[in-house]
Amino acid sequence: MLPAAGSISSLVAGLWLLNVVLDTCGQLAFKAAAGNPLAGDGLARWKHMAARPWLWLGIACYVIEFLVWIAFLSLIPLSEGVLLGSINIVAIMVAGRFLFGEKLTRLRVIGILLVTLGVTIVGVAG
Amino acid sequence: MKRFYLFGFLLLMGFDTLSQISFKYAGTQALPVAASVAWLLRVFGQPWVYGAIIGYVGAFFTWMSLLKHAPIGPAFAASHLEVVSVMLLSVWLFDEHLTVPRVLGAIAIVAGIVCLGLAESREHPPEPAA
Repeated sequence: MLPAAGSISSLVAGLWLLNVVLDTCGQLAFKAAAGNPLAGDGLARWKHMAARPWLWLGIACYVIEFLVWIAFLSLIPLSEGVLLGSINIVAIMVAGRFLFGEKLTRLRVIGILLVTLGVTIVGVAG
Repeated sequence: MKRFYLFGFLLLMGFDTLSQISFKYAGTQALPVAASVAWLLRVFGQPWVYGAIIGYVGAFFTWMSLLKHAPIGPAFAASHLEVVSVMLLSVWLFDEHLTVPRVLGAIAIVAGIVCLGLAESREHPPEPAA
């Protein structure tokens, strides 16, 4: 996805990849924590979530992602960084499709392809 | 009510923009990057990282209150369109350049986000009598 184009070092590419993985895992973990219909309501629901690993996994992912993102942005221009970070939207939708059977309608597929195209343009040409 | 949504979307974009700008300042001041305690101390030893946290928390609560009332499609789009405001501010604050690939990439990404927002709107039609 990101060939050895002048400005992108392997450290930057690695941090970018790590950020996508952590963001997707975090979102999916929160979804798994919040989506359990047996969890009840109000305080009982929070207790149910706190007693299971999903919520904590999500929080851990987000804390590490926070640091990874700071490191990532310190190495490349901010305008390029936020554009490359848009790939998270795609990763989460594709993961939602496979793990939760969420539908990918035609409009969604077009949106995913456009975002991917944009990220590729920026990643390859800076 | 329209004005309320618009204000909410702008506030959300504002918080997200604040976060990204703060991340950039925080990261730059903590250079060089290293997987070390020293780097963590540099990150948390200057004020910008707390700007990023304020932006995150603000965006979270704005998003939650928007979702209670606002249509999900535009809310989704607004939560990702900070790429545009951040890009423009980077030119001003960090002397970055709007290169052709960045502008083309941003156009494709924004078009994609709009499509995804429209898809959300179609799948979750607004409830009658809000």
